[in-house]
Amino acid sequence: MLQRDRIPLQLIFLQVALVVTWCFTDMETGPGASVSTQPNGDRFKIEGRAIVPGIKTQDWVSTARVLVEGEEYVGFLRTDGSFAVNDVPSGSYVVEVVTPTYRFEAVRVDITTKGKMRARLVNYIKTSEVIRQPYPLQIRASGPHSYFMKRETWGWTDFLMNPMVMMMVLPLLIIVLLPKVVNTNDPEMRKEMEQSMNMLNPNPELPDVSELMTKLFSGSKGSSKAGSSSKGTRPAAKRR
Amino acid sequence: MAKLILLWLKCVIFWATIEAVFEDQVGKFDWRQQYVGKVRFSHFDTHVQSSKKVLVATERNVFAALNTRTGELFWRHVDKSGSEGNIDALLQHGQDAVLMVGNGRLLRSWEISVGGLNWEVVLDSGSFQSACLVGQQDMVKHVAVLKKTAISVHYLSNGHQKWIENLPETETVDYQAVYSDGNGEVYVLGVVPHSHIAIVVYSLEDGEIIKQMSVEAPWLSNIQASCVVVGQGMLTCVDSAAMSFYMLDLRLQLQMTQVPLQAYSVNLFSAETGRRLLDTTLIDFYSVFQLYVQAFLKKDDSVGYRAMVQTEDHTLTFIQQPGRVMWTREEALSDVVTMEMVDLPLTGTQAELEGEFGKKADGLMSMVMKRLSSQLILLQAWIAHLWKLFYDARKPRSQVKNDITIENLSRDEFNLQKMMVMVTASGKLFGIDSKTGGILWRHYLDNVPPNAAFKLMVQRTTAHFPHPPQCTLLIKDKDTGLATLHVFNPIFGKKSHVTPPALPQPVLQSLMLPLMDQDYAKVLLLIDDHYKVSAFPSTKNVLQQLQEMAASIFFYLVDSSQGRLSGYRLRTDLSTEQIWEVVIPPEVQRIVSVKGKRPNEHVHSQGRVMGDRSVLYKYLNPNLLAVVTESTDLHQERSFIGILLIDGVTGRIIHEAVQRKARGPVHVVHSENWVVYEYWSTKSRRNEFSVIELYEGMELYNSTVFSSLDRPHAPQVLQQSYIFPSSISTMEATLTEKGITSRHLLIGLPSGGILSLPKMFLDPRRPEIVSEQSREENLIPYAPELLIRTEWFINYNQTVSRVRGIYTAPSGLESTCLVVAYGLDIYQTRVYPSKQFDVLKDDYDYMLISSVLFALFFATMISKRLAEVKLLNRAWR
Repeated sequence: MLQRDRIPLQLIFLQVALVVTWCFTDMETGPGASVSTQPNGDRFKIEGRAIVPGIKTQDWVSTARVLVEGEEYVGFLRTDGSFAVNDVPSGSYVVEVVTPTYRFEAVRVDITTKGKMRARLVNYIKTSEVIRQPYPLQIRASGPHSYFMKRETWGWTDFLMNPMVMMMVLPLLIIVLLPKVVNTNDPEMRKEMEQSMNMLNPNPELPDVSELMTKLFSGSKGSSKAGSSSKGTRPAAKRR
Repeated sequence: MAKLILLWLKCVIFWATIEAVFEDQVGKFDWRQQYVGKVRFSHFDTHVQSSKKVLVATERNVFAALNTRTGELFWRHVDKSGSEGNIDALLQHGQDAVLMVGNGRLLRSWEISVGGLNWEVVLDSGSFQSACLVGQQDMVKHVAVLKKTAISVHYLSNGHQKWIENLPETETVDYQAVYSDGNGEVYVLGVVPHSHIAIVVYSLEDGEIIKQMSVEAPWLSNIQASCVVVGQGMLTCVDSAAMSFYMLDLRLQLQMTQVPLQAYSVNLFSAETGRRLLDTTLIDFYSVFQLYVQAFLKKDDSVGYRAMVQTEDHTLTFIQQPGRVMWTREEALSDVVTMEMVDLPLTGTQAELEGEFGKKADGLMSMVMKRLSSQLILLQAWIAHLWKLFYDARKPRSQVKNDITIENLSRDEFNLQKMMVMVTASGKLFGIDSKTGGILWRHYLDNVPPNAAFKLMVQRTTAHFPHPPQCTLLIKDKDTGLATLHVFNPIFGKKSHVTPPALPQPVLQSLMLPLMDQDYAKVLLLIDDHYKVSAFPSTKNVLQQLQEMAASIFFYLVDSSQGRLSGYRLRTDLSTEQIWEVVIPPEVQRIVSVKGKRPNEHVHSQGRVMGDRSVLYKYLNPNLLAVVTESTDLHQERSFIGILLIDGVTGRIIHEAVQRKARGPVHVVHSENWVVYEYWSTKSRRNEFSVIELYEGMELYNSTVFSSLDRPHAPQVLQQSYIFPSSISTMEATLTEKGITSRHLLIGLPSGGILSLPKMFLDPRRPEIVSEQSREENLIPYAPELLIRTEWFINYNQTVSRVRGIYTAPSGLESTCLVVAYGLDIYQTRVYPSKQFDVLKDDYDYMLISSVLFALFFATMISKRLAEVKLLNRAWR
């Protein structure tokens, strides 16, 4: 519905080709209906194995579960990391191994009414795209979950490269250096400068730093004061 | 400068979207409690002498190992809820525990030291009766499973079936028990009610029937209820009607020996002493449901015992020999139905200060004196507090104990600590301290019907000192509709002195009015099935107020079986009058849920500032109801879900949306001017989110007050949908005190995570093509798929199994929202949807700020000195 309208012709062709080659004629129809219409139909078994590289299975299997389409069907892991979810009717399901510590990719498993199985990558946007995965499933953990943010640590370089500091230091430099390089009291020069400042600022309605600055240029004495006051507002504003 | 501030704000907003937990915050303000549910089967792990495990299988389809010393979980496996995950039997042999699951459908073997699965096999369908381990020459290698019509024997090592045999005469005999004595024979016991016991003996080797017996037992109707096999094949049954005891040696006799019960007084006595012992050790002792005793020989050859007691109120108590309670687990909390958070009372001194305002003014001078004295008391308390801080700081940290008891409960500075009042399905109420998770009070209501519906309401908060806070629990029997009220103090759990009205008629609807009686208790209106209204409290003052207000009190009723939604108005004589009705044909679709807005929700900004500096005003109708319907036709091509936005006062349908090729379960959140719902798309086989936002337009019709009766313009409706890569269990929105903080959606996932998804991502104004204006508005470009990032999990690895509800409450800080997720587990935490903008962060760098200040100070001193010197020099020139 969302992106389907824009599926390129190529992909449709690919899709058709795949359907033909794999003989999954009932891929698009059936599965959802079969769940509801034939509760006593044939039941199948989804099998596979989950692997966490470098970790003993005993250390994580007791916290793991296999969830098929949410919590519709639940399986548990054996002590060697393999699993089987029993009593699943034909259909198309997303199978995922869930543990609080390790991240596993979900896999979509299609089961035909005859019990033929195939696994493919989960793609929620192009739901009929088929990129085959091995079946019985081989699900390898892609590392531990990252739940936490890193605290910002404080260093001089961070402080100096901080955009806020840059924004304060650069104008200060300009304020201090510019009056020495150009004569700000020259009206033509001032006009030119104003124009260039307006170019930088696309929205003329906004009250702007540049205006403030040009005002400051007229009297270079107040500049240091303004600089320090802006420095003062930063921590105060943060605290608010 | 303005641009600077704008940029800074942008930074804040940007950071808000990637809000997450820091690693050092773990356990600082969050806690989790894990439960297993009411125990159905239990086994002490005895195969190793030093084992500390006790295995439990519960009614909530959980299989777990508990530590006998502490009561904590070693591991826990949560199966599907419902009958398919139902645990029928638990057997244990050595390292293995064998479980029968789903009415004899699955046979599972668990490795109990690790908590991993050994094997799982599917059995033929058939009603499960009994299971037992089968031994042969002291070696247990098989497990026998008895179904209604067949018996099968499986290998214990891999679950493979050894043989299966049909039972003889299944039309007349009701087979109920299976037993093996370890000699290669399997006894199947059946009963013909009020006639005889049929015993069939099978050979373990090949499943052949060795012999069939029949024993007269005209008094027996059910073996499982009244019989047990003890010792070496000794069937013992109790006939409670004749007060006697029957024994049958399964191997030899063909006749039951009857023993009058008095002869077994020894057994009874020992059981009785145990009972008496328990009675003396427990304070809250309700009737015992189940008792699991493990007797063992101690080193000095005396008999010791350990016992696990399951009581009626779902408390699990573990008792060691001399009647010492080792631990208790409140398993009722595995099934929390509803909850509320109540502010804690002020401390004594604060309350005194507050009380000053409550009294009548009596002269200027005395008021000043009173104020001065109370300020003095505060100062005194503050100094005492400082002294205590100083005193505690010198002691090592481990010695400082901050035990929270009911006596020293008091509100903290930012009102972050609250009392969680939890109502469980078993009818037990709990008061839990939100900071530590400690249970401060518990109260068991013993007259609660098994299928009751609960509604908890706070009638009076703690703000009205010296009146005690008051909560009212409405308990409604779903079958009869009859309801009772339980009024209690939420801080202490004590039943209130206020007697609630008796409710002889079934209650259809209850509503809390913002009206208060003279004691500051909010008025609760109850509507019975004759559409008569009764008020609680119903003092004269209240009735008078009601009469005055009657014209502006409206309510709605939902009858989902008939698909009828109707609105009523209150008349001054407390009768009602129907003013509107919407009928949704129940043959086509049925009403699944009706959601209003939360009454304690505040919306800070009336509108949204657009990119061109104009304002788009929100349609903030407090009476708006979101009605969700599902089609009765479940075929994937024809099923649909519908959402109706109805004004609860006028019955006007504001908006109607239908999602074709979709089915439930639908989860809805309705807040401010938006409704977010989630459903299953049958066409694309994925979960989808949809958001509806309502706007008044560029002008506000009446900005001072909203009236449903005077709103001529229909609101503008915007809608957008997204793909969500997981199914969800429950959903709730964050809530803050003033509504300034941006909102997040808290989504409970089946994996146990609680995702905090910024509402920004669910915004129907997200543009497909980015323009200058949308960038100015900070709109995120549209992307069809919403992402689940584990950094957004507010509960990191503390997963919450089977999340059933998420409760959010505002705290005293605008940035902070308190969250409690409950299901099988309970998890409490705080979330900061826009980060902590109103308090210093816990990693605030005091050193930096003070060093900068000092540096500046010295710099000014030095420059002043230099300037003076310079001036002096100039003056000399």
